Amino acid sequence: MISSIVQRIRRIFADFDATHREKATALTVMEMEELENIFALLLLGSFAGFPSPPTFIAVELLPYMERELQVLCKRAKDCNDMLAEMCGTIGLE
Amino acid sequence: MTTLIIIFGFSIYLILYLTYGKKLERDVVKASNEQSTPSHRLYDGVDYISARKEVLLGHHFASIAGAAPIIGPALAICWGWAPALLWVWLGNIFIGAVHDYLSLMASVRYDGKSVQFVATDLIGKRTGYAFYWIVFFLLILVVAAFAAIIGGMFVRTPAIASAYIYKIMAALVLGVLIYRAKMNFSLATIIGIVMLGFAIWLGTVTPIKASYMTWMWVFFFYIIVASSIPVNVLLQPRDYLNSWLLYAGLVLGFLAAIFAFRGFEVPAFAGFSPVLLGGKATPFWPAIPLVIACGSLSGFHSLVASGTSSKQLDKESDGLLIGYGAMFLEGFLSTIVIVAIAGFGYTALKTAAAAKAVEFTLNASNWGATFTGISGKLGLSKANLFVQSYADMAAATWLSFIPGKYVKVLAGMWVASFAMTTLDTTNRLARYCLAEMAAPLKESATGLYNFLANRWVASVIPAAIGIYLAASGNWLIIWGSFGASNQLIASIALMTGAAYVAKKLKSGFANAALIPAGLLWITVTAALLWFIIVVQPGAIAAKPVPGWTVTVILVVMFILNFVFVFDFIKSKSFKKAG
Repeated sequence: MISSIVQRIRRIFADFDATHREKATALTVMEMEELENIFALLLLGSFAGFPSPPTFIAVELLPYMERELQVLCKRAKDCNDMLAEMCGTIGLE
Repeated sequence: MTTLIIIFGFSIYLILYLTYGKKLERDVVKASNEQSTPSHRLYDGVDYISARKEVLLGHHFASIAGAAPIIGPALAICWGWAPALLWVWLGNIFIGAVHDYLSLMASVRYDGKSVQFVATDLIGKRTGYAFYWIVFFLLILVVAAFAAIIGGMFVRTPAIASAYIYKIMAALVLGVLIYRAKMNFSLATIIGIVMLGFAIWLGTVTPIKASYMTWMWVFFFYIIVASSIPVNVLLQPRDYLNSWLLYAGLVLGFLAAIFAFRGFEVPAFAGFSPVLLGGKATPFWPAIPLVIACGSLSGFHSLVASGTSSKQLDKESDGLLIGYGAMFLEGFLSTIVIVAIAGFGYTALKTAAAAKAVEFTLNASNWGATFTGISGKLGLSKANLFVQSYADMAAATWLSFIPGKYVKVLAGMWVASFAMTTLDTTNRLARYCLAEMAAPLKESATGLYNFLANRWVASVIPAAIGIYLAASGNWLIIWGSFGASNQLIASIALMTGAAYVAKKLKSGFANAALIPAGLLWITVTAALLWFIIVVQPGAIAAKPVPGWTVTVILVVMFILNFVFVFDFIKSKSFKKAG
């Protein structure tokens, strides 16, 4: 009984801590996403009309870009629907 | 009475959560854990990532909680504490929380897309586009309203101004400790909290006195600068300290309200039409949603719910706690505010009057007609009455071992921190909104499009108009207009939710969303009309330029309001529900 109460209290504090950390890192994640977008654009810029790096470099980096490619496709799909995401990340009132 | 109301309010929320909330979950939204949520279905480790419901609740609540649920109820006390409390509770339970929950769940079923996207799909393209206009108006008015609140508070209690500046310094140091010195996070947190306490103490010792206009200029430059520096330098460590302040303020307020054992000084009902917005007799209906926004219902919440929370929901059954439950917490925060002012507001006014050697008579019969004027005259308008009442409430309990001046600064910083965060948030959102709003000009007027979409121009426009309106001094007009834009977004989001349950879910209980959506639309429309016809002529006569600025915004919103309902009725979703 007592141990379960103690466990529950510990969990509440752990969640509290996790919430704080999660909230605090959300903004860094947002900036990281922007850097990822720029990185993906540098490598795959030819799709958008930007000059790409030499082909052999792009091809060599391609296997490491799998996740970025997936995120890029999703972002391209969602790029006109960012208002709510921005509100959720940076808050308003 | 203070204790009774807090316990009664808590019980109501708990019972309604377990009954009405569960009913919504089961029969309206038809939540099922059999269906995979976007956080699993579209997992990408960045945006779409599941979170434990307790953690997500904390994150969601921190995003929706701000200064507005404190200010609104503090103003609404002019109707008496009972109408204010009733609107917070009933609006919260039957409209606000339903709105948040439906926005969240509609987004979950739409792959985490925003309520704006869902509105475009279910109601029409025009509705989705108009979202940007309303949000842009909201940004201008929110800068004006919150800058005036903080400015008023800094002038009235200079210790809050200095404590806030020291807190910014503490946040900068915390940022260096975490990101540059790579200090252990827990240790840095402890140092941050100690610095926060030190900032409050130092603030009381070295108050910074400046005029209202000086603070307006400071805020204008602060808004521009704060959004241009990297987030990890100021924004992030400051928000981190803010969240500690929020929980400290909530816990202290809850304990104080529970143990205050105090009767209410404020009359329960002070009349249907007290003098409030623009110095005019303000009828409870339809004007109440313009005064109490976030504590009861807020359109902005639909954006948060459908922006990040829906992408992190682990399973559908968690949605009730996040969407519905977080709004109850916000309502409970407003309940604490009303209890604090109802129990201690009159004493605060008396004390302030004694300090200024001002005589006043305030009783149940003249409360409605004179409360707003007297509180303004005594420097206890806006957030100041709450700050003083909160400190008095804590002093009336066993928490009196904490000196009142520190509690007062804590409460003031609580409000100022949220309001200030909002000021620099607006720039980032305004940039995005303006770029989207100007999109139709891209082909026909490329030069104008490039000018409006420029990050500095997009930053300066809402900041300049907002601060100009704040400096004009007619704060109650601005607050009412801010409430109108917020409630208009809520009205669209709730219509979207209603369209969703009717069209996509074919729910037999769609009326649980349709009826509040209809009531809210009628109320907001009537309120806007009343505001434009009754309040604005006086505002224009007093100060033509700011008066006309606000009137134009209100008229455009009024027209958009009819466009929404026209599109909604025309949409197949409504016909299906009918």
